[in-house]
Amino acid sequence: MAVIDSSSSAAKKFGSITLAALALPGVCITPANADTPPEAAVVSFKVQGYNDWQPGLDRIKVTAPALYAMAPFAGVWSIETSLVQDSVSGASPRWHSSISSASNMQDRRTAADVKVSRYFDRATVGLRASTSTEDDYRSNAIALEARMSSADNNTTWMIGAGLTRDTINPTNELVVNEKKRVTDVMIGVTQAWTKNDLVQLNLSHVRGRGYFSDPYKLVDKRPRERDQTIALLRWNHFHEASETTFRTSYRYYSDTFGIRAHTLQTEWVKPLGDRFTITPSARYYTQRAANFYFDPIYDPVIGEPFPVGKPKFSSADTRLSSFGAITLGAKLDWRIDSRWSADVKYERYEQRSGWRLGGNGSPGIATFRAQIWQVGVTRTF
Amino acid sequence: MATLNTSTTQPALSFDPIAHLWRATFAAMACQCELLLVVDDEATAHAAATSAIDEVRRIEHKYSRYRPESIVSQINQNAGQSDAIAVDDETAQLLNFADQLFTASDGLFDITSGVLRRAWDFKSHRLPDAHLLAETVALIGWDRVDWNGARIALPTPDMEIDFGGFGKEYAADRAATRLAEMGIANALVNLGGDVRALGNRSAGADFEPWQLGIRHPRLSDATLASIPLANTALATSGDYERFIEIGGQRYCHILNPKTGWPVQHWQSVSVVSPVCIAAGALATIAMLKGETALSFLREEGVAFLAVDAEGRVASSER
Repeated sequence: MAVIDSSSSAAKKFGSITLAALALPGVCITPANADTPPEAAVVSFKVQGYNDWQPGLDRIKVTAPALYAMAPFAGVWSIETSLVQDSVSGASPRWHSSISSASNMQDRRTAADVKVSRYFDRATVGLRASTSTEDDYRSNAIALEARMSSADNNTTWMIGAGLTRDTINPTNELVVNEKKRVTDVMIGVTQAWTKNDLVQLNLSHVRGRGYFSDPYKLVDKRPRERDQTIALLRWNHFHEASETTFRTSYRYYSDTFGIRAHTLQTEWVKPLGDRFTITPSARYYTQRAANFYFDPIYDPVIGEPFPVGKPKFSSADTRLSSFGAITLGAKLDWRIDSRWSADVKYERYEQRSGWRLGGNGSPGIATFRAQIWQVGVTRTF
Repeated sequence: MATLNTSTTQPALSFDPIAHLWRATFAAMACQCELLLVVDDEATAHAAATSAIDEVRRIEHKYSRYRPESIVSQINQNAGQSDAIAVDDETAQLLNFADQLFTASDGLFDITSGVLRRAWDFKSHRLPDAHLLAETVALIGWDRVDWNGARIALPTPDMEIDFGGFGKEYAADRAATRLAEMGIANALVNLGGDVRALGNRSAGADFEPWQLGIRHPRLSDATLASIPLANTALATSGDYERFIEIGGQRYCHILNPKTGWPVQHWQSVSVVSPVCIAAGALATIAMLKGETALSFLREEGVAFLAVDAEGRVASSER
């Protein structure tokens, strides 16, 4: 008796008749948001590279090989695990444009996580545990997440909570065994608006207590409390004529350090023939500085930049300054056959004070640029 | 086993304790139809089956060419008139789909080809009168129909359209959507062999794909293949449904609209596609395409099983 495998057709690109049929009213159950148990195991290996620089200075260089594996078991369960190792080398972050030498640093981070998911008819529950270790920083986290879909699959609700505990032991022994505890909660809803439109809103609140300062930075003293509120609005639209998926998102970020940030992102997922997909992307980010951020401007009298007066908190970390940043990138996915696929990604990041929206950026910071690349190969079993 | 009601409007419902599902049988669209529902309680099964069957009957009613008030009959009665008939949105989308099928099949799938019934009588044992056949072929031609996406006019009297080429498959898909809307995740809709699967069947504590047997085109009680279906649809087009045999030659009901003569190349073609209306249309077009059917189906990216005139099996699994 012949057996034909109907599931293999799922990965293929359908012809015009099938696509036309899928567009008929009431024929297709609208974009299924409900997660279904994965049917095949997946193993992927990726290498990501990152390096950044400022005019005349190459800074950090990171190479990170990562292994990911996912396997379904017992029909309604799946287990995922990933392992990543970052090797960081280069100059320590230079936070303003007027230092002439930079000390060298070398660090290695190993991170691993494991996630177990249980799939129900219209719900999925996942538990994730992760750990990350560096010479001077250890982090352990646990997170629980549940998703539920409405009977018609048009709406999915999500609720999640997580706990992270970090231990900080800087090599300069400025502090010893410092702790940071972060708890977060997230709620979200995804709605299939039309056959081709999906809208999602996620709200998260993060509560952090403990050591937030950078032990390697001079006069870096930050509050021991940081609460963050994040709202993310996403819209995915499938344009039938061009077979392109447009993903657009806006993210609002606010924290008790005084930072307010806005991110606008768009990417287009476009198939090129049967085997390739190209995804160009663009992201604009802008933020207001933290309340205790001081500008790293050399004083002709004092010399090195220093906070004015004797403030309780202060930092000249560029990440807490006022700036705008643009990321442009593209990803190419190649479906080699039904088992193998490969992808390459390249992103270019540029951060300038002057690109801040609705205000002046922090002065005295040189343009910061970075590039991120990734190559990966995935095998489905 | 519980039987609720066997009248034509209510589903005949029974519980299969081994397969752990509710089975509802009913007759519609000139076929024996069946719904298999993986739910625990009878009330849910009954409500879902009733809703799905109502939807099948709504489509049957709306697009029947035997009912003079149906939209299809109105369009056909208006053939040859200068004023076009305005159609509702659902009908418009189906006519657009028919238009796409016509183009994608190089005119082989033509919803105006039903007029060939006037020349072919599969109940008799006679070949059609050559003159009558030529006359009916001359009436066929979707490309001559005045269709602007909202209004339709058939250019000549005696021309007609029908949705027989995809109506039952469309009903299977819509019935499945109804079941999904009622919160049913695992079910099978089978309208006389046009099948749409939702989720899987239960197998003990686990779920496994629904298993569909494909009828052998020459041995009516034998199956040729078993096809697993999970969230997909299956339709089969074959030369064995209605045919006449004269002088050892089989003349089946699948007729080439360009010649008026039956197809010869395939005994049957089964197609697996995400939705039944696509599976059915693709199976029919493959029958009509003859030799080039397999490359056509591969281009469409669907799984298939085809049996040629000599009984050789070809499938999407090379």
